[in-house]
Amino acid sequence: MTGRPLYVGIDLGTTNSAVAVFDGETTQVIRNAQGSTLTPSVVRIDGKGRVTVGAAARRFLERDPENTRSEFKRLMGTERALPFAASGRSLRPPELAAAVLGALRADVLDQVGLLPDAAVISVPALFELPQSAATSEAAKLAGFGKVELLPEPIASALAAGWTAEQGDGRWLVYDLGGGTFDVSLLETDGGFLRVVGHDGDNFLGGRDFDWAIVDWALAEIAREHGVTIRRDDPTHGAAIAQLKHAAEDAKVGLSRAGQVVLTLAAPLEIPGAAPFDPELALDRAVLEGLISPLVDRSLDVCRRLLQEHGTSADQLARIVFVGGPTVTPMLRERVGHTLGAAVAEGLDPMTLVAQGAAIHAASTALDGRPAGPLVRRGARLWLQFPAVCTDLSPHVIGRVVDAGQGPMPSNVRLVRGDGGFTSEVATLDDDRAFVAAVELVARHANVFEIVAEDAAGVRVAVDPPSVTIVQGMTIGDPPLSRSIGVALVSDHVQVYFERGTPLPARRSFTHATVESVARGAAEAVLKIPIVQGEHDRAHLCRLVGTLEIPGHAIGKTLPAGSDIELTIELDRGGRMSAKALVPALDQMFEHVAHLLVPAADPEVLAASLAALRQRVDDLRAEAFRRGMPHIIGALEHAEHDLGDVSRDLGAATGGNDDAGQRARRTLLEIDAALDEVEQSKQWPELEQRVVRTLTWAGGQVGHLGTERERALFEDVAKAIDRARAERNVRELQRQLRLANQLGETAWYRDPDTWPALFDEASSRVDAASDLPRAQALVREGKAARARDDGAELRRITEKLWRLLPHDPTARRASYDSGVR
Amino acid sequence: MSAVDRWGDNPFFVLDLPVTATRAEVERAGQKWLGMLEVGMSRAAIYTTPLGVRARTPELVRAAMAELRDPERRIGHELWHLEHEPPSTLDAEDDADAEGPEPEPAALRILGWSRP
Ligand SMILES: Nc1ncnc2c1ncn2[C@@H]1O[C@H](COP(=O)(O)OP(=O)(O)O)[C@@H](O)[C@H]1O
Ligand SMILES: [Mg+2]
Repeated sequence: MTGRPLYVGIDLGTTNSAVAVFDGETTQVIRNAQGSTLTPSVVRIDGKGRVTVGAAARRFLERDPENTRSEFKRLMGTERALPFAASGRSLRPPELAAAVLGALRADVLDQVGLLPDAAVISVPALFELPQSAATSEAAKLAGFGKVELLPEPIASALAAGWTAEQGDGRWLVYDLGGGTFDVSLLETDGGFLRVVGHDGDNFLGGRDFDWAIVDWALAEIAREHGVTIRRDDPTHGAAIAQLKHAAEDAKVGLSRAGQVVLTLAAPLEIPGAAPFDPELALDRAVLEGLISPLVDRSLDVCRRLLQEHGTSADQLARIVFVGGPTVTPMLRERVGHTLGAAVAEGLDPMTLVAQGAAIHAASTALDGRPAGPLVRRGARLWLQFPAVCTDLSPHVIGRVVDAGQGPMPSNVRLVRGDGGFTSEVATLDDDRAFVAAVELVARHANVFEIVAEDAAGVRVAVDPPSVTIVQGMTIGDPPLSRSIGVALVSDHVQVYFERGTPLPARRSFTHATVESVARGAAEAVLKIPIVQGEHDRAHLCRLVGTLEIPGHAIGKTLPAGSDIELTIELDRGGRMSAKALVPALDQMFEHVAHLLVPAADPEVLAASLAALRQRVDDLRAEAFRRGMPHIIGALEHAEHDLGDVSRDLGAATGGNDDAGQRARRTLLEIDAALDEVEQSKQWPELEQRVVRTLTWAGGQVGHLGTERERALFEDVAKAIDRARAERNVRELQRQLRLANQLGETAWYRDPDTWPALFDEASSRVDAASDLPRAQALVREGKAARARDDGAELRRITEKLWRLLPHDPTARRASYDSGVR
Repeated sequence: MSAVDRWGDNPFFVLDLPVTATRAEVERAGQKWLGMLEVGMSRAAIYTTPLGVRARTPELVRAAMAELRDPERRIGHELWHLEHEPPSTLDAEDDADAEGPEPEPAALRILGWSRP
């Protein structure tokens, strides 16, 4: 490899995609064959099987919808394949995304002369594991050998920070795309960028603006022409598509002009009515009225984020806008004004993400230049250094991996290209490795020549002969967007990784099986469901994978209560792998099944909708009866969301899969919100629990706890007071759990505890899953008690617990989990 | 996680830094250890604590850096680290912890609990 490095960043958008390259100092946004920096994420396959991508395909979106596909990013991670009628082909979402990535990759070749082998691809911050996995697959299909994924807000922040003057403080990245909304709170401190937190809505975007305009247009048409056009009537599909397109053009037009006319490519044709052209005039005032509820929804998310991180408006230094809809003047004003912060000007909202992704490629040393022929230029070094670095004095670490025929280097020093700095001489150690500290010139690409000498002081050629380190803003490891854990048989979640955990990450816990798995039994399978989400009830979290231990794959029958040592690993892109070691079998299981978003089946969704409606009605009746006005507001909110679901469901029944996915997620959210309502209904009960828990746990920790446990307990007690003052149900429950844990830890030390627990477990032994074994344990336990062997009694009691029954309803809700 | 692990995994031990280390020193040390571990330098693979020698892994280093980047979490680690006395193991903790007078936790006082 020669010349400057080629760092490639790609914004694979729902609506538009873009690619940028970075050479260590400046970013360049690549133009496609049409001369545009934006490539619509649209794929068309014609009757001859020819594939077109981008603007050329987009033109056919309404004219030939059977053979032209867009917005497939929203289906990433689902099983749904999209058919192309004329060619008879059918492509899965990653294959469609690969077509777009392939086109961008070719554009880089056109503009830079190199076909990149590696790239950083941005993904929405709230993408879940299956969606990330599908994105990686798309990159592989497009011919990228190496790929890293980066959350979009971090990419925007890096790009904005790279060009900004140094200025410490907190700022918001407000990214409203075609279909998703992301907002991130960041902080710069001495050139270090840190993500403080983020939030968003996977289903809010410019597209919703378009639909708001379409709904307005439908009402106008009904009023002026007396024709009723319905979004959920399949025979009106073509007219709706035409109106949607016109609505989008009008919306974009209004970002420049004060008034526009909705222009249709052809008159509308509705069964039972003569073709007509409605010619509707739309001005900014009407548009603002239509979109302001949507903008408000985004502002609610922003406020929630700021509040969560204790940031008041006057602490916010600036707002960076990203995404097409943020070009809308009213939106910029309203968001800037409401949040009371300055808007960063001079940044291109459409390509900022791609630029940031390219800069990140440099920080992770993901050089996209294809590997050239191997030419040996001296002793081969394996080097480690930050390609981009905020610190002015980083280290270069190296190791001689192959000296070939030549002499072995014995010491090394690094000489900066401008001659202004030479490192101390670093001697190679027993591992043939060295560590050298270097000094950087700020905001420059610093090239260091590696000068090596052998034991006799004679210069030795090394390969590579130099390293380049760029000084500038960097960011730490990307944080995990949503917590990941294992669903337990009790419908609780064992959290493996909290939201915000830096990636990559790995963690292990030991679980116990709740029933035996018979060897060879075809239908016997033990399931370990892996879920993602912030709820402590498993069924409210999203199932992202299931690790299975099937009867046909085990060497011998696995008894109930057996240990399973589960390790879950996440790479930087949020891709997950899991391994279960079963010591009793001496076997390892790694196959994670169904890493897919479940299909949104309209009938199933309709049933959940009906059930939730009923629940809202019941809760409301109760609230009135018992005089609990504070929960009425929350119920009204749920009611409103149920209305949205109902509308989406109509569209889903009409074949709109994406609306189905949105309905499914909204249903989950409503379910969780109602759970909270039920909990807050129990606030008085919770208050009593606080007193009980603090008294009991405080007593235990006080009598039997260590000094540290007492200090921790004091912290927890303070947090409980805070949560109580804020009436934060979830936080209060979390803290109560902690208090209980501390209390239990102390309590377990009490010599009287285990005999009591053993008696309680023995009394339920008849219900054990493996009766002979449980009875044997009871006998052993009695003997241990007679001997006064507390440690043994504890071991036996814990084993006994594992054999005692679980609640079958909870288990079903918890994705059929077979572990505790 | 046991108290011993929690203490031994203290980011300042893992990164071999004093609690007074600046933000830049944290990044610098982390980058150095990660590089040394990556190329397989044996002297990077362990670190010493008053409780003995422990294995330094890239995961530990990255986690330590993440902990110290967050000012709120950093304070906690500084406090843990400044308690020079290492925690004893679960079986023998009471003796070690019983030494010296203890402050009475406010939460317990509020609840009307007092030491026997
Ligand atoms: N000048 C504009 N004014 C208002 N909306 C715009 C403008 N340009 C593009 N849009 C809208 O922006 C959305 C696409 O934004 P983009 O950031 O490219 O989305 P994504 O990140 O989903 O690919 C579309 O809804 C489009 O109609
Ligand atoms: Mg985008």
